[in-house]
Amino acid sequence: MSSSSAPSSVASRLEEGIPAPAPPRAKSKKTWWSWGLLVPVLVFFILMNVIPTIWMLGLSFYNYTLTSAGDPQFIGMDNYTQLAGAGPLWLSLGRTFTFMVLAVAIQTVLGAVVGYLFWKSNKVPGRRLALTLLFTPMILTPLSSGLFWRLMLDPVFGVINYFVELVGLEKIDFTTDATLAFPAVLVVDSWMWIPFMALMTLAALGSVPKAELEAAQVDNLSFWQRLVHVIIPAGKFIIILGILLRTIDVFKTMDLVYLMTNGGPGDRTELIAVALYRLAFKSFNLGYSSALAVLLLFIAIALTSIYLFVLNLRSRREAENA
Amino acid sequence: MTSPIHDSPVVLPEENAPSQRNDKERRLTISGVIAWIVALIFFAPIFWIFLAALKTDNTILAYPPKFIFTPTLENFAALITKPNVGLYFFNSVFLSVGSVAIAIVVSYLAAYSFSRFKPAGTDFLMFLLLSTRFVPAAAFVIPFFQLFGILNFKDTYVGLLIFYVMFSVPFSVWILKGFIDGVSQRFDETGLVNGASRAHVIFKVVLPQVKPGLVAAFVFNIIFVWNEFLFNFQLGGRNTSTIPVALFTSLYDGGATNWPYVASLGTAYVLPLAILIFFFQKYLLVGMTFGTVRGEV
Repeated sequence: MSSSSAPSSVASRLEEGIPAPAPPRAKSKKTWWSWGLLVPVLVFFILMNVIPTIWMLGLSFYNYTLTSAGDPQFIGMDNYTQLAGAGPLWLSLGRTFTFMVLAVAIQTVLGAVVGYLFWKSNKVPGRRLALTLLFTPMILTPLSSGLFWRLMLDPVFGVINYFVELVGLEKIDFTTDATLAFPAVLVVDSWMWIPFMALMTLAALGSVPKAELEAAQVDNLSFWQRLVHVIIPAGKFIIILGILLRTIDVFKTMDLVYLMTNGGPGDRTELIAVALYRLAFKSFNLGYSSALAVLLLFIAIALTSIYLFVLNLRSRREAENA
Repeated sequence: MTSPIHDSPVVLPEENAPSQRNDKERRLTISGVIAWIVALIFFAPIFWIFLAALKTDNTILAYPPKFIFTPTLENFAALITKPNVGLYFFNSVFLSVGSVAIAIVVSYLAAYSFSRFKPAGTDFLMFLLLSTRFVPAAAFVIPFFQLFGILNFKDTYVGLLIFYVMFSVPFSVWILKGFIDGVSQRFDETGLVNGASRAHVIFKVVLPQVKPGLVAAFVFNIIFVWNEFLFNFQLGGRNTSTIPVALFTSLYDGGATNWPYVASLGTAYVLPLAILIFFFQKYLLVGMTFGTVRGEV
C-alpha cells in the first residue's frame, strides 16, 4: 500500500468495465445501506460536534459571565462589536500571525535540510532508531514538552543556563525575559515541529519517481537542476500540505505556551488560543469568549478548505499522471 | 485477467558502476553520521528528563548540572507507591484503548459507505469531520464544559469515552476511506453476484484487505488520546485524570515543582510513545497528516 495512485487508477479503470446500472430495487437497498452505515458516526457527530457548535454560536449572542449573578442576557451582536474593537485580541492575533510566519519558515527550511539528510543516508546503521529519536519530540503532548523544557530553562539550576555561562554570559530567565520569552517559545515549538517537516520532506522526496531521479543522474544534472526540475515538481504538494498543517497548528498552540510562559511576561507570548483560554477560564466571560471561539472556528474552516483544495489538486494531478 | 492488486512496492536493486557506487557509499557515511548527530540533538531534551528521573532531588537541583552521577531507581519506587499514579495509568490506557476501539468500528462502517456508496454530501461530511480536528481545542472547551455539567458527564468514564470516540472518529474515517478506496470495487461486486450478503462483503472481503489502515488508525488515535490534555483537564476530575493532567497538576505540588516525580512520571509517559514510534514508523506519515497523505519514509 505504498503508493495510492496506482491501485486507485486500476480500480477506476475496472469500474468503467462494470456494466449496467443496478435495477431500482437494488438501488433503494443501496441507499438503505449507505445511510445505515453512517448512522453511528452521525449520532456521535451530532452529539459531540453539532450540538456544541450550535451551543457555542448561541452563547456568543449572550452576555453571560460565570462570576456575576443573574441570568444570561440576550445582547445580539454586542459581543462581536466588542470583539471588533478589542485592541489586545487583535494584537494577539497579529502576534499569532508573526509567530506563524517565523515558525513555519524556520521549520520548513530546517525540516527540509534534516529530511534531506536522512534521505541521503538511507543506509545508515540504526536508521530506524535514529528516526525514532528524531520523531519523538513531535509525538509528545505539547504540555509535557513545555514541562521538560522548564527543567532545562530554569534560571537557577537549568542546564541551558550552564551553557550560557560557559560562553561567558550571565544567567538568563528565558521565560520571564521581555525580549527572550517569545524566541524561547519559538525555539521549543521548532524543536517539536522541525521533525514533522523533516517527515514531510522525506515523504515528498519518496514521492519523486525513481526513474526520473535515475534519469537525472544519467544526465549528470547538478544538485540545483535536480531540485528545480525533478524533486520540487513531484514533491511540492506534500510540502505545501505540511506547511498548511503547521499553519493550522499554530492557531491551536496553547498548552505549550500556557506551560512555558502562561502568555507572559505581560502579553509578550499570548497567542490567540492562549488568549481565548484565559478569557474563558480566568475571567469566565463565556459569552464574549464564545464570540472569539466562533471567529477561530471560521479561521479553521477557511484553512481546512485551503488544505483540501491542495489535497484535491494533488490527487487530480496524480490521476492525470497515472 | 491478472489480480487487480499490485500494492506491494517493488524495490529494484540499484545498479551503478563500481566506482560510482564507492563514491556514493562514502558520502552516505558522512551524511549518515551527521544524521545521527542531528537525531541525538533532537532527543537530548528528552534524554535529560530520563537522566533526571534517575537522579535524587538534590542532584536534579545541583548547579552546575551533574552530567555524571550515581543513578538511582528510588524515584520510580516512590512513583509506584504514590496513591493515584496507578489510577492515572489505568485511566490513560482505558480511555484511549476503549474509545479508539469504538471509534474504529463506527468509522469503518462510515468509511465503507463513503467509499462505496458515496451518498449525497459525502465530500461535505468528510470536510466537516476534518475541520473539527483543525479548530483550536480551547474554542470548544466552553460548550463542552457546560454540556457535560448539564448531562452529569463531568469526571465520568462514560462522558469522557463518548468525547474521545468523537475525538478519534475524523482521523479514522479519513484514513480508512483512503485504504478502502484502494481496494477494487470488483471484490464487492464479485462477492454480491456470488450471493454473499453485503455484511459478508464488508467484514469478510474488504476488512481483511485494509488491515494496515486499521493498525495505523488504532495506533495513532491511541497516541492522540494518550496525549490529550485540555479536555481531560476541564471535563475530568479526580476519578478520570490521565497522565498529562497528572503531570500538569504535579507542577505545583506543595508550592514548588516536585521534579523527581515529574521526571519519573514523564519518563513513564514518554517511553510507550517512543516504542510505538519505533515499531509503527511506517504509519507515522499517515498518522501525522490525519490520514490525508499516505506513503512511507
